[in-house]
Amino acid sequence: MIPLKRSTTPAAPVIKVLGLGGAGGSALDRLMLDGVEGVALVAANTDVQALNGCVAPHKIQLGRTVTRGLGAGGDPEIGYQAAEEAADEIKSVVEGADMIFLCTGLGGGTGSGAAPLIAHMARAAGAVVVAFVTMPFGFEGKRRRTQAAESLAQIEAQANLVVCFENDRLGETAPHNAGVQDAFVAADQILSSSIQAIASLVRRGGIIPTGLDELAAALRRSHPRCLFGHGESDGVNRAHEALARALKSPLMGKGKMLADCHSVMIHIAGGPDVTVQEITSLMDEFNKHIGDDTRIDFGLATDAKLGRRLCVTILSSTGAPETVAESVGVRRTPPREVPASTQPPKRTTAAPAPVAEEAAELLPDDVDEEELLPAAKPEPAPVAAVKTAPPAQTYRKPAAEKAAAAKKEEKAEQMTLEPANRGRFEKSEPTIVDGQDLDVPTFLRKNLKVK
Amino acid sequence: MPKDQIVVGLEIGTSKVCAISAELKRDGTIQILGVGEAPSRGVRKGEIVDIETCGKCIREALADAEEKSDVMIKNVYLGITGAHIVSYNNRCSFTLPEDREKIDSGDFARVQEAARTSPIPSQNMFVHTILQHYYVDGQDGVLNPVGMHGRKLEADFHIVHGVANRIRNSIQCMIDLDIEIEDIVFTPYAAAQAVLDANQKTAGAIMVDIGGGTTGYIVYAGGAVKQSGVLGIGGDHITNDLSLGLRIPMGKAERLKIDEGSCAVGGTIPGEAVVMKDEHGFAGREIEREMLNTIIHMRVRETFELLKRELDKGRYAEYAGAGMVLTGGSSALRGIQEVAEEIFQMPVQVCRAQNVTGVTSAFENPQYSTAIGLVKYAQATLEDDSGGWFDWFKKWFR
Repeated sequence: MIPLKRSTTPAAPVIKVLGLGGAGGSALDRLMLDGVEGVALVAANTDVQALNGCVAPHKIQLGRTVTRGLGAGGDPEIGYQAAEEAADEIKSVVEGADMIFLCTGLGGGTGSGAAPLIAHMARAAGAVVVAFVTMPFGFEGKRRRTQAAESLAQIEAQANLVVCFENDRLGETAPHNAGVQDAFVAADQILSSSIQAIASLVRRGGIIPTGLDELAAALRRSHPRCLFGHGESDGVNRAHEALARALKSPLMGKGKMLADCHSVMIHIAGGPDVTVQEITSLMDEFNKHIGDDTRIDFGLATDAKLGRRLCVTILSSTGAPETVAESVGVRRTPPREVPASTQPPKRTTAAPAPVAEEAAELLPDDVDEEELLPAAKPEPAPVAAVKTAPPAQTYRKPAAEKAAAAKKEEKAEQMTLEPANRGRFEKSEPTIVDGQDLDVPTFLRKNLKVK
Repeated sequence: MPKDQIVVGLEIGTSKVCAISAELKRDGTIQILGVGEAPSRGVRKGEIVDIETCGKCIREALADAEEKSDVMIKNVYLGITGAHIVSYNNRCSFTLPEDREKIDSGDFARVQEAARTSPIPSQNMFVHTILQHYYVDGQDGVLNPVGMHGRKLEADFHIVHGVANRIRNSIQCMIDLDIEIEDIVFTPYAAAQAVLDANQKTAGAIMVDIGGGTTGYIVYAGGAVKQSGVLGIGGDHITNDLSLGLRIPMGKAERLKIDEGSCAVGGTIPGEAVVMKDEHGFAGREIEREMLNTIIHMRVRETFELLKRELDKGRYAEYAGAGMVLTGGSSALRGIQEVAEEIFQMPVQVCRAQNVTGVTSAFENPQYSTAIGLVKYAQATLEDDSGGWFDWFKKWFR
């Protein structure tokens, strides 16, 4: 008997998060506290005391002889030398990783000095490098600012992608009476939640996968000032709430900043029960916050682990678009929106893997799997297993057949939705704008559930 | 005007029929004599859907007004609305005959006549041709061209037109009641006469009349009407949303909206509930306030967003120096001003009719703006006495 090969997917990408210096260490602590999954955490610091206090399982001491266990004293030169000294250790960590998330706070000695070198080593080892950096607060002084800017330029030359947060932006949004401690904690939180969100969206792959190229498009600006928002909810109106929370993120300016963006990436992840309705209404709501010409990179994934939760991640940056197209070494077809009419039909058979089945139904017919991000190999096992299983049906249906099917479903949907929703206006002439019957209550059309 | 004159404005609204009789004094002031009112039936979204029932309501409202003001009502100024009414701007011209070089007052009427030949769909009829500006031989900004030298008199008009048969339904109602119609007036235009003063019209203002079944709007810039229209959404939709969402009857939903509803969200204590009284005054069902307000907020926001889209098409709204004025029954909704300010990004005020005297309860409430506006419109037309075209229309209709 020929054994049936259950899974044809490659292994999940190996992602390592390298926290560098004091800020990087605190971000790792935060990640540990939040319970991040599927990534290895490595802390690297010149300061032994700080390193010992860090909860990361793997630690590298930089500059055993250069600093002798003390800090880099705010001098990037010392930071650089310290990293050079620990080059072998760093290489052993970065080797074998598909992605390295390098997170650090710029402006000090260790972060500013060592980060460019480590990024270089990681690239040389063949990993995709995503750097998460914070720029110092204004009150930390001009010198740190200059050091940070110089270092940022060097990191940008090395890393595939730089996600840069301005601490001052966090300060602006913090309440006036918030302590300095709180401000730094807020910076750590943002750093860690963005790492988590990006790690999961790259790892999860999903029905409409997003990859590094979309991230790069969303963030490719000459003066990167990152807009990042992440929200989760499991309430009855989770689509609304998750988006509202994502937009409320301090780096979003209540969603107002989005209006100036040229390109935005939004990723939605949820349990198997996420409906097309929810996604449609969420995206409708989201579209109100961005300009008409803004390019949206849309990602969608289902993950049984999320249960009833729905997560929305928004990433973008303001500033002038950079003309030089950065090469990430990734080519993929542009993402496609799920057509509104592909509402999953009612399941009649008991399915062993509901996630996977829904994924297969929602899967746009012509996404080429070969074209998926090679470096990240983002395939959670259950989704992909069925994605490849029925190739004959899902691959490239004739266009006419597809259109007819879509039409049929659309019709069926309208027929079930039509009655009983118009109340008083049942018999009156409908007011229809943009294909929406305005007599139907707004909250029903926007998919708000009334308790 | 030769003497004091009594006029009646009649508005057939979606929620109520309202007749206001007023005396136009020789000194130019308006004295409200009485307000007759009756709940409206047979009207949906500002349009009559049941002539017979609606006729009864009109009769009731007129009788009420007659009783309160002690006048016999024979003629009315009738307000009309409905989403079928649309408008656009058009320029019309009149070239003077060879032997004449001076523009005289008769030429006004000729340009006005030319405006009446503006292209509109064949099933539609003119409601208004509102003058905006004159041009003499292309010279801009002419206020009064009489006596000026020129070869060509041009004028910009704001043309309001609607589906003739639907307008005839309103007229038929009046014919059945044996009441003569002096003129028909587009209700947002009428309401603007009541709530906007000359300064606001010159500075540029947007008036939004949120009624029961419709939301009418009109944009003034430089003293002239630049844009107007109606959306078929109003306070009824809010009530309907509440009724369907909270599963309560329409009547209770309406009460709940007026007594407790607000379109401000976020200001409530989590879990705060509104207790609905049952028929005997005992505590009945509890409704979460946040949910109540969210339903209202979503509808109001959507309506304003649609309105903003309409206004953006005209591009006149940018020049509204005096901001936006809300009126009509639904403008009494709590928090509506803040929502409007957020969406339109301009100062917004809720306004009622101004510059009238008489029964204070009549004009203190924004829901009477349109009816009072009709009286104001009557005053304006009687003053310049140029509204002769409607007589012509009436003859044609009979």
